[in-house]
Amino acid sequence: MNTMLKVEGVHTYIGQYHILQGVNFEAKEGEVSVLLGRNGAGKTTTLKTILGLTPATKGCITFKGQEITKKPTHVIANSGIGYVPEDQGIFATLTVEENMKVAMRNEDEVTMRKQDYVLDLFPDLKTFWKKDGGLLSGGQKQMLAMARAFVGNSQLLLIDEPSKGLAPIVIEKVMEAIIDMKKQTTIVLVEQNFMMASRIGDTYTLLDDGETVHSGMMQDLIQDEQIKRKYLGIG
Amino acid sequence: MTTKYQWNNIFLTIIVIVLFIFPFVTDSRTWTILLTQIFIFSILAMSYDILLGYTGIVSFGHAMFFGIGAYTTAVMLDRVEPTVGVFILSIATGMVIAGIISFIVGLLTLRLKSHFYAMLTLALSGLFLVLAEKWRSLTSGNDGFTFRAPEVFKDRMVFYLVVLVCLVVVYILLRRFVQSPLGHVLVAVRENEQRTKSLGYKVLHYKVIASIVAGVVASLAGALYAISLRFVNTSVLTMDITLDALLMTIIGGVGTLIGPIIGAGVIELSQHYLSGLAKDYPIFERWIIFFGILYILAVIFFPSGIVGTIRQAFHKRKKPRVVEEKPSNSKGES
Amino acid sequence: MELLLNLTINGLATGMLIFLLAAGLTLIFGLMDVLNFAHGGLFAWGAYSSVWFYSLTESFVIAILGAILTGIILGFITEKLIIKPVYGNHVQQILITLGFMLVLTEMLKVVFGPNQIAAKTPPYFVGSWEFGDVIIIKYRVFIIIVGFLVFGIFQYILKKTKIGLIVRAGVMNKEMVKTLGININNVFLYVFIAGAVLASLGGALMAPYSGVIYAEMGMEFAILGFIVVVIGGMGSFPGSLLAAVLVGLTGSYMAYYVPSLSLAVNMMIMAIVLIFRPQGLFRVKG
Repeated sequence: MNTMLKVEGVHTYIGQYHILQGVNFEAKEGEVSVLLGRNGAGKTTTLKTILGLTPATKGCITFKGQEITKKPTHVIANSGIGYVPEDQGIFATLTVEENMKVAMRNEDEVTMRKQDYVLDLFPDLKTFWKKDGGLLSGGQKQMLAMARAFVGNSQLLLIDEPSKGLAPIVIEKVMEAIIDMKKQTTIVLVEQNFMMASRIGDTYTLLDDGETVHSGMMQDLIQDEQIKRKYLGIG
Repeated sequence: MTTKYQWNNIFLTIIVIVLFIFPFVTDSRTWTILLTQIFIFSILAMSYDILLGYTGIVSFGHAMFFGIGAYTTAVMLDRVEPTVGVFILSIATGMVIAGIISFIVGLLTLRLKSHFYAMLTLALSGLFLVLAEKWRSLTSGNDGFTFRAPEVFKDRMVFYLVVLVCLVVVYILLRRFVQSPLGHVLVAVRENEQRTKSLGYKVLHYKVIASIVAGVVASLAGALYAISLRFVNTSVLTMDITLDALLMTIIGGVGTLIGPIIGAGVIELSQHYLSGLAKDYPIFERWIIFFGILYILAVIFFPSGIVGTIRQAFHKRKKPRVVEEKPSNSKGES
Repeated sequence: MELLLNLTINGLATGMLIFLLAAGLTLIFGLMDVLNFAHGGLFAWGAYSSVWFYSLTESFVIAILGAILTGIILGFITEKLIIKPVYGNHVQQILITLGFMLVLTEMLKVVFGPNQIAAKTPPYFVGSWEFGDVIIIKYRVFIIIVGFLVFGIFQYILKKTKIGLIVRAGVMNKEMVKTLGININNVFLYVFIAGAVLASLGGALMAPYSGVIYAEMGMEFAILGFIVVVIGGMGSFPGSLLAAVLVGLTGSYMAYYVPSLSLAVNMMIMAIVLIFRPQGLFRVKG
């Protein structure tokens, strides 16, 4: 399978803090790659660095074979990367419909088909179509954020902790949706919930103190009690 | 470190001594008056530096305190009697009023974000200006009034020396202030307000203290200014005064105390020469426009002003090459 | 009763002029997090350029278009040269926009002379309508109509167009808008120019209303604009209309009944709002 995204030796500073100190990983087309690690390991910063929100000072990021390391955020996004931030980033006083519209490049047939697909996936959004985004529940916001990122012509979705603060039953829904979306797009997932990560992830990359310490197939990690205990505190 | 410090002090002392001797060796009236003016505005600019340079607060209402000092002294000398005693008393009164007002204003407004604070102080000082215009029985409104200064100040040289003493004392006191633990907290507030707050400091208290100190010192400058003119009108409360303080502080160098003094010198001197040129070239009647442009360029390209830029150049030269090439170091400085 | 009506119309007209100034301020603040202290300068330049165009052509339409053109040019220059270099640094922004205000004001004096200039009302707006005892001055009605028209147009753009959608989204969360593939720098520029145009239009309408124009009028009106922006809520477009009308009406009534307090009362409203409801009457962010 083709490599969609490649992150090589990336270093990032936020202010004077050296947050990422050598992150390496790859996301292959049609797979779900999971970034794992403790709080503060640099997972969210890795996503933001890919998007150019916190630009890398060293290293190289390539997307579909093209370098995007120093590009401005909107150019990176337009090349085909969608982002679902940890706080979902819903525009609270815009309706669900308007939230979707902001993300759409144009309203051609392909985009409309994508919209129909996500609305089938998340029927709740159809129900609240004309309602303000701020009035949605946590789970619905998560769905709207994922739907919005998806309709924006994304070949790669970066999803930051979708399970955070959600009830188990809602997590189940979100998880099923991600598995379904995988058929159409590549996904990089940051997840603390190992149960969820292990069920939907194909490959994993383990970060610790801003560095890649392990990576490989998810099945191997599930069996590796030692690594799990050392870096994730489970097992 | 200590030696460098001592050298600085020796250097400053020599300058002060020269300035003290100056009026005895020359009888140039123009220069005495001009230098007196520079000293007065140095005091004002230093007080502004406490706010802008050390605490990171942008106030557009500093003229308010300058005006309070000017009016208090003028009114008291006019209504009571023009003696040195009343003069000293009037300065003290002005400082107390300025202190109380800056305390109240600060308590109400310093909680706000920088935008709001700048805007509110701008509007408040506008309100004071209107008040001074309307309260004619006290201020004679826009026309202002002349008053008699104490007899000793009739001699320009005596007044020059008094103002110079004030300047030196204020400089020493303010330097003590910014180097005290309290001053360090102010700098911490400027650098990172959130972090200072989370370290357990009541940021609001420190900001209010800074604004009181600045207000009190500004009122002293206003009082001296009024005496130097023996006249006061509403111009002491206008935006121009605040802008002068702002220009001097920015061009001289924020957060240095010595910078505002140099800034005051540069601006007063060039103002003097540029308005002299206006006789031949009418464009110089609007000399302030050059300062406006200079100021904008300074904010963009030399945000640390004359003193700050010189200091940086000095530091860079002394630093070993290797350190500069480290990316982590350049990041840390920005 | 006639008095009250006249004061109300007066207040509404003044309110609309303040609204035109404040609308730009509030949008620029909401989207770009920049409080533009030079905004009053754009207002004054609008007034001067309209008077200049009017004296050349005797056409009020050309005068207004000239003011709008001035707004576009100055807005463009201001955003590129003044705002952009210090983007994201609040202290520098405040300092630099105030410095630019100074330059704009002084430039007016250099170009048009330091004295105040008389501004004529176009002949078709001179005079008033009389209904019994009630006298309504035509030009004031015109200002009120223009004010509502501008509000309507901008409201439509904000609510119904893609760019309006992006602006509203950007007010809430700029970073998210960027990650959706939108070049927010362009949006900043458009919004800044739109705000500058509104301010210069306000100045152009102001000139015949007050009869004279002078360089300092920019700062005087800007202060009212700041008050309005605080009362209405930073970033709220409808809030700025409501607050502007409020300030205009209070000013008009107070100027008649207690003239010395008219500015003080508006300041007082602002202080009360800041202390008890610092986000303004209309909350936008968060």
